[in-house]
Order: sequence, then structure tokens, then C-alpha cells
Amino acid sequence: MNQAVIPDFFRQILDQPVNNLVDQAQEQGKKAIAYTCSYVPQPLLSLDGVFPIRVRAPGVVGTPMADTYLSSVICSYTRSVLELALEWAFDSLDGWVFAASCDHLRRLYDNLDYLNKPAFNHMIDMPHRGGAAAEKWLTEEYKSLGAALAESFGVDASPQALSRSIKEHNAYLSVMREISKMRKQDNPPVTGAMFQTLLAASTSAPKDMVMDELKALLARLRESNEGKPYRARVLLAGSHCDDPGYIDVIEKTGGLVVAERTCTGSIPALAPIPENDAPYETLAGQALANISCPRMMESFQARVDEILEAVEEYRADGVVLQTMKFCDTWGVESGPMVQELRKAGVPILKLEREYTMSSEGQLQTRIQAFLESMGK
Amino acid sequence: MRLQDLKKADASWKDKAVHARYRVESIGSLARLLRHGPGKMAEIFRWDWLRTLAGASNLLDMAVYTRTGRYREASAYALAEVIGGIGDLIDSICAAPDRVVIHEDLVPSEIFRGMGLAPFMAEVIGIAVPLVKADWAEKYIDIAENEGTPPDTCSLPKCTMGVALDGQFPKSAAIVTSNMPCDGGMASYTILERELKSPCFRLDIPYNFYNDRAIDYFVSELKRMIAWLEEHTPGRMDWDRLKEVCIERNKAMEHELEIWELIRQKPAPMAGEAIWLAQLIHMVATPGSPRATRTMKNILKRTKKIMENGGGALPEERYRAVLWNPPTLVFPELFVWAEQQYGVALLADMLTYHRHPFIDVSSPDSMLRSLAQIIVEGPMARHTRGPAENFFDDLFYLYEYFSLDMIWMAGHIGCKNTMALNGMFRERCREREIPLFIMNYDLSDTRVVSPVDMKKQAEAFMETVMKAEPLL
Repeated sequence: MNQAVIPDFFRQILDQPVNNLVDQAQEQGKKAIAYTCSYVPQPLLSLDGVFPIRVRAPGVVGTPMADTYLSSVICSYTRSVLELALEWAFDSLDGWVFAASCDHLRRLYDNLDYLNKPAFNHMIDMPHRGGAAAEKWLTEEYKSLGAALAESFGVDASPQALSRSIKEHNAYLSVMREISKMRKQDNPPVTGAMFQTLLAASTSAPKDMVMDELKALLARLRESNEGKPYRARVLLAGSHCDDPGYIDVIEKTGGLVVAERTCTGSIPALAPIPENDAPYETLAGQALANISCPRMMESFQARVDEILEAVEEYRADGVVLQTMKFCDTWGVESGPMVQELRKAGVPILKLEREYTMSSEGQLQTRIQAFLESMGK
Repeated sequence: MRLQDLKKADASWKDKAVHARYRVESIGSLARLLRHGPGKMAEIFRWDWLRTLAGASNLLDMAVYTRTGRYREASAYALAEVIGGIGDLIDSICAAPDRVVIHEDLVPSEIFRGMGLAPFMAEVIGIAVPLVKADWAEKYIDIAENEGTPPDTCSLPKCTMGVALDGQFPKSAAIVTSNMPCDGGMASYTILERELKSPCFRLDIPYNFYNDRAIDYFVSELKRMIAWLEEHTPGRMDWDRLKEVCIERNKAMEHELEIWELIRQKPAPMAGEAIWLAQLIHMVATPGSPRATRTMKNILKRTKKIMENGGGALPEERYRAVLWNPPTLVFPELFVWAEQQYGVALLADMLTYHRHPFIDVSSPDSMLRSLAQIIVEGPMARHTRGPAENFFDDLFYLYEYFSLDMIWMAGHIGCKNTMALNGMFRERCREREIPLFIMNYDLSDTRVVSPVDMKKQAEAFMETVMKAEPLL
């Protein structure tokens, strides 16, 4: 038996809102830019001299201060981030970049700006649909972010520099895709929780500091020949879920998460970025076409189709659709989405969750019942 | 809390005659639907919301119950025209069933009129019917929730979805919506599109719109919409007709701006429903209609009359207030009660306040550009979509402009956008020493906060913060 495990190196990255690798990179003179959400292109924040940190809020216990400002009816991801920001957890970071993706993120931006104003705070004005005009608009938005980074941090934001950054990012994506592909196997050497740990860790630290460890892990995974036993293969769909612990509960109960169609998961985050002479345009086109959050108001059927394709590709027995409480876009869309997936004969379990893992027993019971309902 | 809790005014025979006159007019403006024949009536009276709206003349009681004289007459007139405006909407969809376009509230419906289409604002059902029967929306909120919509989503789109899921929308040639005013509202059209089985067009409006680039983008969206409507409906753009609609809207706006100017005076010569409800229906749901112009003109006329007679609209104006956020649909009597109990004159509300008043009718492009600006700088869009400063700046401007004594914030629990601003809002009001009343309530669901509790919150604020002595 040769079962792979995820090195502590990756787990430790996830323990803190800002980890040691970020500190190290800053000591070397690089600037750390916090960002949320997926519409903020990582390659643009990876220009020489800066690096991106996808904002997470590990260890947050309650959000009393954030509730005072954001209220308790805003999604708990944004409240958790604001809570930690008010506890100065992100003060060592050099800037923030937001995308105007949803009501909650926009108000997080407003409140952060008011309560603990970052030296660099940028908002990307995201279109809600695809098409040529929207691509042109978003290209200009990304260029404007590039210009702001150049002005504030002295980085080279030229198309050539961005192309180099995309090439480096593609090298990272290629390693992650290799690992992800293994999840299609009958008995994958990597579980969903393991994969989410890698994904979250590598977006929470400077990429160049995790690449060697990722490559070493890939080699070990190739040699491993045994995965954990499971009762059913599950596709995780829905909103932001950066906590491997949530997936771990599903897997402890017998489900094996083989892919995540979430904004923090494997689909579509690992798609390679075309390398060409128009990198800003390419990033814009790809963001609008690939990252299909329900905020994209014309793409409901595309999202359904994407889940159905992933179910087939990863041979999932069923889908767990998890939505963050108070998220209106996922919340409203999940109703018809459940209907569509059922119509297509795909077993589906819809769950509502908070950002921080809670009610583990309840989740286990729901998953257990779901697996049994599938005859597993 | 309903009308029974208010003290009835000592009405003269003339006051009573005013009440009777406008009640008859209101009944008449709905009764004219009968002209479409028994077949049509059987079809549309299947809709529960329309049957409930048939009792809309009772809305007049709200306005006239406690008021006398010219203010009573003006309020009754405004409400009768509101009912008439809703009647016009229903009448137009009965008259041209193949030209009905169901649209969201932040879409420039003037364009549909310019194309010879019959626009019907989907949200008007959820806005108007609870005014008549406070708990009416609850059944439809439950229908939407039973289909999987989260309980925390705004109750207005939930009610709209519930009505669609219950098959109570007119047949339509097309649906037009946008990414506004909030995520819940935007997402609700996924359900509407599925239930109404009509082709749907979605306008994309930038987040931050204070530059030509953003307006250019939105104008290009409007052009795309016109081309799409020409392809999917019998409507054809007639720029001259659009110009007429826009001119009509400009006339109404001119009157409205004059009303605003007059009510800056202390005491204010007009207040209450004649300001907020008239604007909501005529300038948001049916802009550019001759009725809207007529209503604004006549409210202005009545405002001037009250001024000429000396004094203000209220017998004793002790406080001046603005209502921010969507109005309390399940408790429209709030300000009638506040007038009577504490002498509070409501002079403006968020949905009334437009930043970009007039349409430049010099060319098709200029009209589209103005319409785009009206939408993006209009109520809700400007306050729920753009940066937080939009929300605060407008409010503090109004506070100064109308020499207000306090701000009433209708803290609709389903409006996540504004709920997430309340913390900042409190602190900014404190800095300016502006008394702020944030009332917890739900726009369309009395089960969340009952009108009695809403009134209690207002009482607590008035008596502890404002140190107001009840007039009664």
C-alpha cells in the first residue's frame, strides 16, 4: 500500500490569514496584494514585484464587529474577512483588489475603505454578461488595474510583462491540472479535501514559493497506487468554499469529492490561459467565458450544462450543491438548478452553509442520507 | 396598526364630498377595464392580485381619514391618480396583448412606449397590492420559498417570483430586465424567464457610472435592446413617438421640481402620499404618460393653493423628515399616523429623488443618453449599485435642501445592500448630529415585523430621541 498524504507545508499555509511565506516574500521586497474574488486575474497580480493572496478568514470565531457594520444578513465570508480586517489581521498586506461581483463584496469594499482604509484599494467593475462589448469593457478595467499597480508599486504592467506572468501562471496550472486529472481514476490517490488544501494554499502564498513542493507532491502522487475507500463519487458545486474541512466531512462520511465546480475549486480555475500578444484581452475573455458565477445573468443554462459535463467527465454519482447563506445569486438560482439536474437524472443534495465550518454532525447526517438515497 | 387606530378627522360636508368624489373616480378608473369584454375580464380576474387591487379605492381612506381641507383634497386626488395610473397599466396590456413587455423596475420603459409596446413593470404587483392589503404578498413569498428561494432574499422579488410561479402574469411578447437593483432582483428573472416562457433580454449596467465610458456602454446596451425587441416583438422604434414620450416626461419632471422647490418652505405646503406615492407610480412605473404630467401639474397647483392660503399642509408641522430606502409598503399609513401623532411632515423619499431630471430630446442618441443617465443616477440604481458615497451624499444633500429635522431609514431586512451600510450610516449621522431612525421591518412581509411593531419603534424614537410630545 502506498497512500499519499498532503505535507504539513501546505496545511500550515492555511492556518493563518497571512502566512509566513507572505512575510518572507515581503522581506524580499515584494508587495502582497489581497484579492477577492475569482474575477480578479491572478497573473495580473503576479507581475514582477507583486504577488496575489486570495483572502481567506481562517480561525475567525464570530463576527460581532463586522455584524455592526455589514449587518448579520450579509454572507459570512465577507463578514469574516471584515472581522479579521478589524482585528488588523491583514494590516501587513500592501493592497487590496476587489471585483464588483456581488452586493456583499461591494459592501465589504465600502466598509473596509471606511473602517481600515488600505493604502491601495482597487475595484474592478465587472460586467454581468459576456460578448464583445463586455470583453472590451473588462479589458479596459484590467488595464486600469495594471496602470494602478504600476503607479503604486512601480511594477511593469506592459503586455509583454503580463504575458510572462501568464506563462508562469500556466506552469502552475499545469501541475495542478495533472493532480486534478488523477481524480478521474477509479481509486484516486488524492481526495477532495487534499486537493482543496493544495488549491487554497497555493492561492494564499507566493506561487514561486510553493511550486517546488507542488512538483514534488505530483511525483509522489504518480507513484502512489492506493486511494481512500469511498461509497460514492461526488461533485461539489456552488459558491465560495475555501475550507478543506467542509469537504473532509463529506469524505469522512463516505463521499469522495472528485471535482469542485465552485469559484474556489478545480473547475474552471485550472483551465490554461492562452499565451499570445494580447494578454489583457485574453484574461478578460477568459474571465467572462469561464468563471460562471450566477452573477453572470445570461448563463444559467451554461452553468447547468457545465455541471452535467463535469458529472460525466469525473464519473460523479451525485452532486452536492452548497450555497453560502445570504448569497442571493446562488440562493435564487439553486432552486431551478436542482430541478434541471434532477430532470437530467443526476442525484443532487442542496445544502446551505456558513463560511466557517459548523454543525458537522448535521452535515454528516445529510450526506449519509444522500449517499443512501443513491443506493451507496 | 390600521386606520382604526388613527383619530378620524372632523370632516366637514365638503371634506366628505371630496372623499366620495375621488372614491367614485378611483372605482371608475378600474371599472373602465370592463370595456375589454367579459372574455378578457374572466381571463384577468383569475389573477388574485387584480381582484385585490379592485378594492384599491379604500386607499383613499388612508389619506383622507385624518386630514381636512386642501391637504385632504390634494392627498385624495394624488391617490385617485395613483389608482388611475395602475388602471392605465392594466388597460394597456388588455388592449394590446400581443405587445406586452414585462420589465424590471430599473429599465427605461419610455423606450417600450416609443416602440409601440405595452410595458408592464413586473414589480408593480408586489409594490401596489400590499398597499391595499398588507399581508397579501405573504402567500406568494411562501410560494417562492417553497420552490427553493431562500427566506433571506428580498421579499419584493420573492413576491414577484411567487406571482409568476402561481401563473398570475399576463402573457408577454418579451421580458426585459437588468443587473439592478440588487442581486436578488437580478436573479429573480431566472425564475420569471422560466415561468413566463418568454424570450428575455438583460441590460448590463456598470457598477460605477460617473464617466462617459460607462454611459456609452449603457447606451450601447439600450441600442442592443431595441434591436432585440424589434426582432422578438411586433414593436418598431419610432423616434418621433419616443420624443413625444420624453417631452411628456420632461413636463411632469418640471412640475415635480417646482413642487420640491415649494416644499422647502416651512411649513411645507405639501407632504405625504402626494409626494412619495405619486412619484413612485407615475415617474417609476409609468413615466412619460399624460396622466403623470397631469398628476404632477395638479399636485403643484394644489401645493400653490395651500401656500396662498398661508400655513402648510399639516395643521401643525413640528418636524420635517425624509424616508430613505424603499417605502413601507405593508404600512403606508406610517406617515399619516406620524403626521397626526407628532406633526411629522414627510417631504421626500429615496425613490422620489432623481439626480438626472431631464431628457435631451434633440436626437435619438441624446434621448438614449439621457434615459441611460436617468436610470443609472436614479433611485435604487445609484443607491444600491454604486459606491457607498452615492447613498450618503444624496441623503445628506436632501437633509440640507429640505431643512430636515431627522432621517427615517426604512431598514428593510431583505435589502442587504443597505443593511450593509447602516453601520457607517449611523456613525456619519452622529458626526453631523442628524437624528437617525432606523426602523426594522420587511418591505412586503408583515410576519417579520408587524405594523404595530413598526409604529412602536417610531414612537420610541420620537419620544426618546426627538423628545416629542404626542399631539393626541
